[in-house]
Amino acid sequence: MLVAGVDVGSTQTKAVIMNEDREVLGKGLVPTGAKLNEAGQAAFEEALARAGARESDVGFVVGTGYGRYRVEFGDAQVTEISCHARGAVFLFPNTRTVLDIGGQDTKGIKVGPDGEVIDFNMNDKCAAGTGRFLGAASEALEVPLSELGALALSGKNPVKMTTTCTVFAESEILGWLAKGRRVEDVVAGVHKAIASRSVSLLRRVGIEPEVTFTGGVSNNEAMVELISELIGMPVNTSPETHHCGALGAALFALEQVLTGAIPERHGV
Amino acid sequence: MPTEPIEQIVDEVRAIVEDPSYPAARRWLDTHPDGKVLGHFQVYFPEELAHAAGVLPIKVAGFDTALQIRKADAHLAAFVCSIARSALELVMSGTFDLLDMFVFPPICDVARHSCAVWARNFEDIDCQILYLPHNAASPAAVPYLAGEYRRILREIEEVASTRVTDEALRASIQLFNENRRLIRELYRVKRETPWKLAATEAYLLTRAAGVMPREEHNEILRRALAALEEREGRPQDRIKVVFVGGFCEQPPLDLISVVQDACYIVDDDFMVGLRWILEDVPVDGDPIEALADAYLNRSDYSPVQHDPRKPKEEMLLRKIRESGAEAAIIAAAKMCEPGLEEQVGYSQALFAEGIPHLVMEFEEKSTTFEQTRMEVETFAESLLFEFA
Amino acid sequence: MTTPTKHERRIVIRPPLSLAGTTRDENRKLIREWWAELDAAEDEGRPVANVFVMGSMAEILRTFDMPIAFPEMTSLQTAVRGRSLEYITTAEDAGYSPDICGYVKADVGVHLQGRDHPMGRLPVPSLVVATNLCNTYIKWGEIWERMYDCPVFVFDIPGWRGSGFETKPSSGTFRDDVRYVEAQVRELIALCEEVTGKRFDIDRFRETLAEVNELSRLFQEVLELNQHRPAPFNALTEGINLMGIVNAYRGSPKGTRFLEIAKAEFAERIDSGVGAVPDERFRLLLVGTACYSNFRDFAGLFEDWQGVFAHSDYMSFAGGALDRGVHYDLDRPVESMAEQMVLTTQEAMGGMFWGQDWLTEVVRDWEIDGIVFHGVKSCRTVSTGLPDEREWLLRRRDIPGLFIQSDLVDPRLWSAAQLKNRIDAFFESLESRRAIGARR
Repeated sequence: MLVAGVDVGSTQTKAVIMNEDREVLGKGLVPTGAKLNEAGQAAFEEALARAGARESDVGFVVGTGYGRYRVEFGDAQVTEISCHARGAVFLFPNTRTVLDIGGQDTKGIKVGPDGEVIDFNMNDKCAAGTGRFLGAASEALEVPLSELGALALSGKNPVKMTTTCTVFAESEILGWLAKGRRVEDVVAGVHKAIASRSVSLLRRVGIEPEVTFTGGVSNNEAMVELISELIGMPVNTSPETHHCGALGAALFALEQVLTGAIPERHGV
Repeated sequence: MPTEPIEQIVDEVRAIVEDPSYPAARRWLDTHPDGKVLGHFQVYFPEELAHAAGVLPIKVAGFDTALQIRKADAHLAAFVCSIARSALELVMSGTFDLLDMFVFPPICDVARHSCAVWARNFEDIDCQILYLPHNAASPAAVPYLAGEYRRILREIEEVASTRVTDEALRASIQLFNENRRLIRELYRVKRETPWKLAATEAYLLTRAAGVMPREEHNEILRRALAALEEREGRPQDRIKVVFVGGFCEQPPLDLISVVQDACYIVDDDFMVGLRWILEDVPVDGDPIEALADAYLNRSDYSPVQHDPRKPKEEMLLRKIRESGAEAAIIAAAKMCEPGLEEQVGYSQALFAEGIPHLVMEFEEKSTTFEQTRMEVETFAESLLFEFA
Repeated sequence: MTTPTKHERRIVIRPPLSLAGTTRDENRKLIREWWAELDAAEDEGRPVANVFVMGSMAEILRTFDMPIAFPEMTSLQTAVRGRSLEYITTAEDAGYSPDICGYVKADVGVHLQGRDHPMGRLPVPSLVVATNLCNTYIKWGEIWERMYDCPVFVFDIPGWRGSGFETKPSSGTFRDDVRYVEAQVRELIALCEEVTGKRFDIDRFRETLAEVNELSRLFQEVLELNQHRPAPFNALTEGINLMGIVNAYRGSPKGTRFLEIAKAEFAERIDSGVGAVPDERFRLLLVGTACYSNFRDFAGLFEDWQGVFAHSDYMSFAGGALDRGVHYDLDRPVESMAEQMVLTTQEAMGGMFWGQDWLTEVVRDWEIDGIVFHGVKSCRTVSTGLPDEREWLLRRRDIPGLFIQSDLVDPRLWSAAQLKNRIDAFFESLESRRAIGARR
């Protein structure tokens, strides 16, 4: 039997299909948009297709992320905080601190050896210093999001951003460009601002090695470098960390299956 | 002997005031290896008590970009003013690592909470609240405050391992009386001939009192006043304003500069703790009681003290009249509950009196002032037009 | 791991309880009477005092037969009635900042709209008594002073002093504080004589003090009932009703009677094995206040997890220190009032700033699983140091806590999805803590 984790985030929806040996068979990734259930379904189907499986093979689905209650085919819901914690310890068993930079919020999570959440902290109500801020920079500079990291690494004299507010980001970015600063230095400044804000959030829960960086921004090489520099220790990332929330959700789903807590309608 | 130019003296103090590592306090410690440092917010603290015990009192303030908030935010709720964050950060980050004692005022809820936050985090710093009386007009307030001063003095004595005599206290009072007199003189120059002394210069010269031994500061003020005698200057066509809102968190220097580009600031409440006591504190009689009496009965007003004898709007109107100002700038620090609340009462009173005024908010950590510049310029232009 | 879908509550079929609803009914009746008295006072020309829950001085005001208005309560009621925002925006339009206390603005808004409150007519105060226990009380008082030219008496009770401070009746500081407070008790009595034109009646004062002694004793007993598992009442939802009455009727036999009714109803629940929350799974302690503009939703976020608030520090600080045990000595009423004020206030206020030891005791005695620290923008008095306290308790005493933020009365600061996410994650962590604790 297979299980699935579906993480309906504010900007992206991720899905993971896993077998009983905890092997990831397929992953899906779609933009979330306004229709949360449809996004969840699309990501789920994409992951199924990659896994070469059918929906009926899946015995249990755990939804996570902001849209977790809108995943109508989900059997249970768990917050992405618990999911990222569980996923990060699965990927890197010595993880004690997790940094998840997502689209709308950033979380610092302190975890125990079994992946249990000991403490966590999230950014304030606004999206300051989250992935959304990179999105705003990408739009203002007309540089695709996926290229921002590489560009930031080439910036030698990062500008000093005074805001991490996404609302004011654009005007400040344009202000720096108007002052003749190079695009890469502005991008580097944007990365620095987010990194330092994220690290201060991480400090709130206490930074203990190993630190695993998850969420959409964990694949941004400049951010990985900056965060590692700021905390003075290496940071775990992998191609899987982007899907860490969905991965954790799938692990929770598997636990349900293995402990026999399977809903009746699946008829197993 | 030709006097030195005032610009040189201002540059000298500016370097000290704007350095979050408190270089003048470090220099003092070099010559006083066993010396103790007592920090406090500028709003009011009877520094004479510390001075008499050989302890250096320091007014802890925030800084603009010279100090980044990294750790402090994790310890405070989101809706807290900048000064509370900066002060906590100064110590948490190790930037200012000289404190043996810190005394908080009971002026607002953030200040009282801050004492507990500090006490939980800094076990090596004696964190105290000096409970200045809120029932200022009560006949029982002076004896109560004298008792509270004696309590704080005992704490200071313990930190400094010393005993303070009345004679030492009287000598300290005299030193601080002289300081207050010199600052009053500086303010007189600014009020009567604002073209000779810019508000930013007066501010830096005054604020320096909080970060260096007062003996040194008195000397700086004497040099500055002498230099001002020599300074030439011609009045310009600018409106005269009173600026209020700086009773606790200080507006950034660049903000004061933006305002003075368009107006003469002839009076203000910057660093009000240094000027809270309006007259010399008597040195005959019990020095502690004299200090307590001066705090309550020979003192200025502020939004964080309710005293039915000093209705705040009337006090503001008097300040405007006595300084010859035509208008007022009613500022408040962002997230400062008492300051923001006072703005409404002030502006209603000014409106009733037909006195033009501009209401604004500031934050010590602001770095861009373009919007403020536009507001102030527009305000000044409209008034010049009106008065022309 | 499964989260119940929101508002999916189970109904438990039980034999009916004979006292069910008696507390609620008495509460409603008394609140109606309280409004009616305030309303009638204006027509009868009786002077009304505006006071606050932390240090209402009801002992003195009731002696002069003055109706007492609690603007914190009336502002709260605008929020529960879903009307707070219109008053808040009225105040903001008049120049009050978005960053100040929402209680102040809701109240100012009602005054600016002709004192027409959803539950009655707000009185014009003839006297304001504001303690220093919340600094905003004083600023609030100054607003009415400007509106109505009424005297504002700032009753100053020196509080917790910092590192190493203890309230010790034997200390010189305590004696100094009491002397200052006693002088103010006498000043306030003189002011009340002036405002009401009545002479101070010391026997009446003694009766009022005796009633407060009784109120305090009952209040402590009611709180202790909640040490029972399952907790018979929810300190969040039902606690607020208790607090309304013990404030509005402090020193009146009606307040004492109300607590007797509540005590009987809660005792019956205990006898019948009924808890405030069906199938109680988590026992919580609230630090700070609730969000009244979204009160049901706020409570529901915890009830969804079968979490009950067994206690709250709100029931301590907002109860005029009743929970600390007020024992007035009726043989020396004025002196004793001053002593008790200093004693209980320093404890209760100390609990707000320097609360870690008191919270640890409550966690132990009420068998709390986790603390919910709720910071509100409106109230820096209760909110400023909460993140630090939470972190300290987790690090030093291994007591798990959650820090969330919204507001008392301003629905614009309510962010449902973010709150739910944090609260769900907190319960998940409490669950895994429990599971791992059982395994190890």
